[in-house]
Amino acid sequence: MSTELVVLGIVVLTALAFDFTNGFHDTANAMATSIATGALRPKRAVMLSAVLNFVGALLSVEVALTVTNAVIKIQDKSGAPKTELTAQHGHALLIILLAGLVGAIIWNLATWLVGLPSSSSHALFGGMIGATVAGLGFSGVKWIGDASTKKLDGVVGKVILPAIFSPLVAMAVAAVGTALVYLIVKGIPSSFRAGKYRTGQIFTSGLLSLAHGMNDAQKTMGILTLALIGSGHWTDLEAIPLWVKLTCAIAIAAGTYVGGWRIIRTLGKGLVKIGAPQGFAAEASSAAVILASSHMGFALSTTHVATGSVLGTGIGKAGAEVRWRIAARLVAAWVITLPSAGLVAFLMWHLADLIGGFGGALAIFVLLLIASGAMFLRSRRRIVDHTNVTDEWPDSQSASAPAAH
Amino acid sequence: MWENLKLAFTNGWHVLVAGLLLGAGVPAVFSLGVRALAMGGAAQEGGRIRPIGKALGVLCFAIVVLAIGLGITFIVASGFGKKLDFEHIYPVLIDK
Repeated sequence: MSTELVVLGIVVLTALAFDFTNGFHDTANAMATSIATGALRPKRAVMLSAVLNFVGALLSVEVALTVTNAVIKIQDKSGAPKTELTAQHGHALLIILLAGLVGAIIWNLATWLVGLPSSSSHALFGGMIGATVAGLGFSGVKWIGDASTKKLDGVVGKVILPAIFSPLVAMAVAAVGTALVYLIVKGIPSSFRAGKYRTGQIFTSGLLSLAHGMNDAQKTMGILTLALIGSGHWTDLEAIPLWVKLTCAIAIAAGTYVGGWRIIRTLGKGLVKIGAPQGFAAEASSAAVILASSHMGFALSTTHVATGSVLGTGIGKAGAEVRWRIAARLVAAWVITLPSAGLVAFLMWHLADLIGGFGGALAIFVLLLIASGAMFLRSRRRIVDHTNVTDEWPDSQSASAPAAH
Repeated sequence: MWENLKLAFTNGWHVLVAGLLLGAGVPAVFSLGVRALAMGGAAQEGGRIRPIGKALGVLCFAIVVLAIGLGITFIVASGFGKKLDFEHIYPVLIDK
């Protein structure tokens, strides 16, 4: 087996690993509020979400080949990689993709460890930007979109502006929805109404899971296929290989099933004390904002929307408790996600370049394994899983882990 | 840059309107359904749901189910290269 084939294999594995982290990092977006209110038992919630993510991923029939075009210039408009990157079986392209993915995974794991719902798409874009700056220089990145196209584009248009607008919009929608709900059902005993909202929540969180599978798995599929094209193993620019679609769908579903319990806990229990009517309003708001945006081609992160909705539902209910200190931590994490993933990817690319060739790719892959292993071991010191994810949130605590027991 | 900001504002505005209509509207209609079920003291201890309350409640829940069905249709349709068109007020599936 040629070494170039091994490098491609490493990129494929790393892309699937990213897809897996994308799954468990975002389980919370659809399910945190349903788990918190008891609408679904934790294990059932992740099972349902995993199945619907799988179905959603398979439904993305549309070609997502040009996913990197939003922020970097390594492909042309048709989706074909730039020819200067495809020499030597696409080694230059593969190293950029690999370094970018490694940066994204490490950031996803680090934020999971501390229980922060940061955006997986920001991590991915950040990683790709960092690796591209390292490999091609600053001019390889589309910082600001082309104004003549009348479309939101570039890092500013596709990443930064939506990250500011979408959580605010979701917050407003959820706040209005929550206020209306409590106004309408005022005076009805909670024992009578709670069960009905919990039933409603199963549908809204299911809808969110489906939308998530469709939106997010596409990105990994696009990057994986780009690697195959760059290394000369795939030529069709109109389609994605079936095995890529299947493995990506399985990876994101498996990640979802594992459940990022630390993040679920922060979003479901830490940010706002949520009742069933609030959970239903938050999920309806997230689903409406995500679907309306994708209808208009407005890129956004499901994480930002879900978090905005949860905050909004805290604002909309009179006397609800919102832990603003935790909210501030989340916002801080959002701001640094893109540059942090970018920085890791930048360093990884340079390390791979310094060592060179096959050894360079192998070195950063091994580094990824070591970093992931270390973070996993660290997480075992304070385990958060389906048994303790909904424990009461102690007031003094800003970290995600529940008290040891 | 300026162009980007203007576009983001327009898009954000459109998403806000659609979001309020569906994202706040659906929970509101659902709550009307709950209210209907609770009519005539049905929510109090020993109370029973009235037939009229049940009819109105089911109507509200049906509207919610319809809206969620619309969401699922949207996801599935865009997967197959179709999109929902709202030009005639009611949604129609057309090619992208």
